[in-house]
Amino acid sequence: MELKQAMGNRRSIRYFQPDKPVEKEKIQVMLEAANRASRSGNIDYWRALVVYRDELSPDTLDALRVPTTTADLDMAPVQIYWFADMSYADPDNFRRNLKELVKVGALNPSHGWSDAYVDENVVGQIITPMLSDPQVVGWMGTIETGLAICQAMLAAVDEGLGVCLHAINLGTAKQVFKFPDHWVPCWTLLVGYPAEDPLTGGQRPRRSISSMAYVNNLDTPWEEIPAVTERLKAEGLIQNPVDVDKRAAEVRKLAQRFGLPE
Amino acid sequence: MTPEEVAAAPSVGRWFDSARLHSDSEEEKQLRYRLLGDFCEHIGQSPDELVAGLIRTTKAGETAISGKRRAAMDASIDEFVEKSGFTGRDAIVNGNIIRSFLVHNGIFIQGRAWRG
Repeated sequence: MELKQAMGNRRSIRYFQPDKPVEKEKIQVMLEAANRASRSGNIDYWRALVVYRDELSPDTLDALRVPTTTADLDMAPVQIYWFADMSYADPDNFRRNLKELVKVGALNPSHGWSDAYVDENVVGQIITPMLSDPQVVGWMGTIETGLAICQAMLAAVDEGLGVCLHAINLGTAKQVFKFPDHWVPCWTLLVGYPAEDPLTGGQRPRRSISSMAYVNNLDTPWEEIPAVTERLKAEGLIQNPVDVDKRAAEVRKLAQRFGLPE
Repeated sequence: MTPEEVAAAPSVGRWFDSARLHSDSEEEKQLRYRLLGDFCEHIGQSPDELVAGLIRTTKAGETAISGKRRAAMDASIDEFVEKSGFTGRDAIVNGNIIRSFLVHNGIFIQGRAWRG
């Protein structure tokens, strides 16, 4: 699948085929996609815990429910818990990884980088003060983890899977999975084969980019180029909106299939 | 409560309007009325009281769903389903019919899915 088609096809899937297992190979594809995500300082911020629903006891599965994620846990065969590992906030990690980037030609003298700069200046002058601010540490770790999650989700779509991000039942997850305190829980990603139309009857409503993007100053909204919009429609990034009546009929059928509230 | 009394409750009308249940067969409608009526008797409240009891007023004067009372209601639904002798798919479906009534009256509540 082309990248734009995968981005255009991604939906938050809320009805999964409960008994169609997800191949471990496909989960590995997702994890490798996450591992290719952009990351400042080439630091490994993200951590993921892959949990197979059927490996959990019924009591544990029950305890992992939250008010917004109940039926979904029954249906999705795989849960991936994503964390930002705050232990990254160590100047020595940055020193080691930045020097690695200098060595492989990612950070170059053309842009002011050298081993000497890393050793003698950047860590003491920039990294250490930055890492002393808990707000910055939290922001950086979680945003970089979010980038990794995004790539994993697109890879899942490319593999024919459905995905949806959900809140984590923190108390239970901590008790059951015993993740360390310096792992900040971000999201649970439910994974499975969609039981619903993978395109959910059309794309979800999005406001125009001109209401969110500006050029040069905040008084000048981005002006869309109609030809580009048309090209993106042809390439699958921009798709038709939901046919509401058709979708309502599908949702009702799904509710009946799974015994859910109609 | 009789099915007629249940059907006359404003909250039940709201449920049927919102979920577009009016076009269902009479048998299906009666099943819903009976089930909700039985649950109301189990709890000792009318349909309107069920909904109102899950709403609290915040210090700012706004309405909000009480998480504690919702959890208690969820447990009561499960208890009612068990006491009524429903098992398997029927247990899931009938519990979720009651949750559907709450959902369409603005109470965010989810039930389990039948995987069988």
